[in-house]
Amino acid sequence: MRRVIFWIGVAIILFVFIFPIAWIFVTSFKGRTDIMVPTRLFFVPTLENYVYEFWKMPLLREMKNSAIVTVLSTAFVMAVSLPAAYSFARFNTGEGHLLFFTLTTRMFPPVVAAIPFFFVFKSWGLLDTHIGLTLLYVYFNMSFATFLLYGFFREIPEELENAAMVDGYGRISIFRRVIFPLIAPGAAITTVFCLIFAWNEFFFGYIFTRTVARTVSFGLISHWGSVVVQWGPMAVGVIFAILPTLIAGWFMQRFIVRGLTFGAIKG
Amino acid sequence: MASPGGEARIDSLSTEFREKRTVWEVLASEKYIKWLLMIPLVVFLGVFAFYPLFYCLYMSFHEAILVKAPDFIGLDNYRKILHSLPFWRSVGRSALVVVVCVGAEITLGLGIALFLNREFRGQNIVRGLCLLPLVVSPLAMSLMWKYFLEPQFGIINVMLSWIGFSQVAFLSTSPGALYTIMFMETWKWLPFSIFVFIAALRGLPKDAFEAAHVDGASSWFTFKKLTLPMLKPFIMIIILLRVMWLIRLSDPLFGTTQGGAGTEVLDWYIYRIAFIRFDLGEGTTLALIALFMTIIIGVLLFRQLIKALGTAR
Repeated sequence: MRRVIFWIGVAIILFVFIFPIAWIFVTSFKGRTDIMVPTRLFFVPTLENYVYEFWKMPLLREMKNSAIVTVLSTAFVMAVSLPAAYSFARFNTGEGHLLFFTLTTRMFPPVVAAIPFFFVFKSWGLLDTHIGLTLLYVYFNMSFATFLLYGFFREIPEELENAAMVDGYGRISIFRRVIFPLIAPGAAITTVFCLIFAWNEFFFGYIFTRTVARTVSFGLISHWGSVVVQWGPMAVGVIFAILPTLIAGWFMQRFIVRGLTFGAIKG
Repeated sequence: MASPGGEARIDSLSTEFREKRTVWEVLASEKYIKWLLMIPLVVFLGVFAFYPLFYCLYMSFHEAILVKAPDFIGLDNYRKILHSLPFWRSVGRSALVVVVCVGAEITLGLGIALFLNREFRGQNIVRGLCLLPLVVSPLAMSLMWKYFLEPQFGIINVMLSWIGFSQVAFLSTSPGALYTIMFMETWKWLPFSIFVFIAALRGLPKDAFEAAHVDGASSWFTFKKLTLPMLKPFIMIIILLRVMWLIRLSDPLFGTTQGGAGTEVLDWYIYRIAFIRFDLGEGTTLALIALFMTIIIGVLLFRQLIKALGTAR
């Protein structure tokens, strides 16, 4: 009896979290009239929304833009954060003050950065470009990545490095043979988090792009004009906006809590 | 191994040796390498964190609307904002959102975590599925719920009509819209607190609970006197992080109310002043005030977290 109650509870919890996501998948296959009748479970599935999104709307280009900016910014973030996090963890550079400052940059309201950079980007011709948006995403992911990597580096015992140094290895070969293999899983987790955050980012994309570098998130809200909301195509847009992160999230499930708590809790 | 020449000889040897070091060897010494590795981060943060800060500081002392050249007006912007009713209303709304969402997430999260905290078949699948809302983009999430909550054909309203309720305009009536947004936020972030609590519960020392069980303590008593105090650091972590994120709430508003129907929270107010009204002087001042408030709240909560960590050990 207790087991039955338990499984009913699990079913309710799963329903609450999964049903909305599943339902938007179902909705994307509904035609114009079926969308207005949400309870209709048996309907003739149609691909008209997909056709509309990919041929009439710039969804494909938006996805390409988002992918470019996401990957570029993540690569940049890792290139900057890995050495910095190593330095923080190994040498306690800046006695904690610099690390704390790095962390506080994430508290800035995005608007704080958006106003000044809007004018700088305008005069440098960086508005509506991939490079401009990439720089902003680097800015907003960097503190997180550095802090998470700092935690992973701290887990590598210092003795390993010292032993290698005694054996006559130089800094570069120590990094390549000792540190890198040990940090690789942590670096991979951090990379995926940066990819998810950059892909999901909306505000900077909305302010700093118009047509050329327009991101998926920006494309989503263009589905409602002043009068009509195109629910079907919007559902398709939502699916392609969340699908990459859902897949990443599924494979990352053991690390999500750890990443979101900046490494404080090993979930 | 050292020759009988004494310390002087060793010294001269080592200086000789030092002179022969290449540039790379000097840079690879601990003193330099640690800052060398830091250069990219320091440069990037210097530009991207300090420049906006000083720009805002400069502009906040000026009157600058649209593209008009800025006029120095001293502290007028600050005075104006601290006396403006819409500003304090938006702060109040943000505070309400923070209190309601964090409260709901902690109580519901702890409840569900206690419920799920056992070994069962398929637990990894259940866990993986429950975590999915966390990685959904906030904007896509708000658009999804906008469709479900549509007054005429949203599935929630259709279900409500089955049990005899009339249509509810969730996102366009005054107090309701803000609570609807809080509901969406809680839906997205509840898994976070659930799984923080599950991780916490799995890490609790077993012997104390066995002792309590042997002593015949009731489960409520055990929960209140043992579980809850031990969970305090984790509760503080959730509060700290969620407060920081909820203060910055604005993405779901873009997809739903656009700041209308009494949902203008702090960051939306800043956005409206700076990017819709294009009042840069007031906008930058607001941004600075918001940053200042966030840092104060962050530091206060961080201290509480440190304290909780101290008492729990």
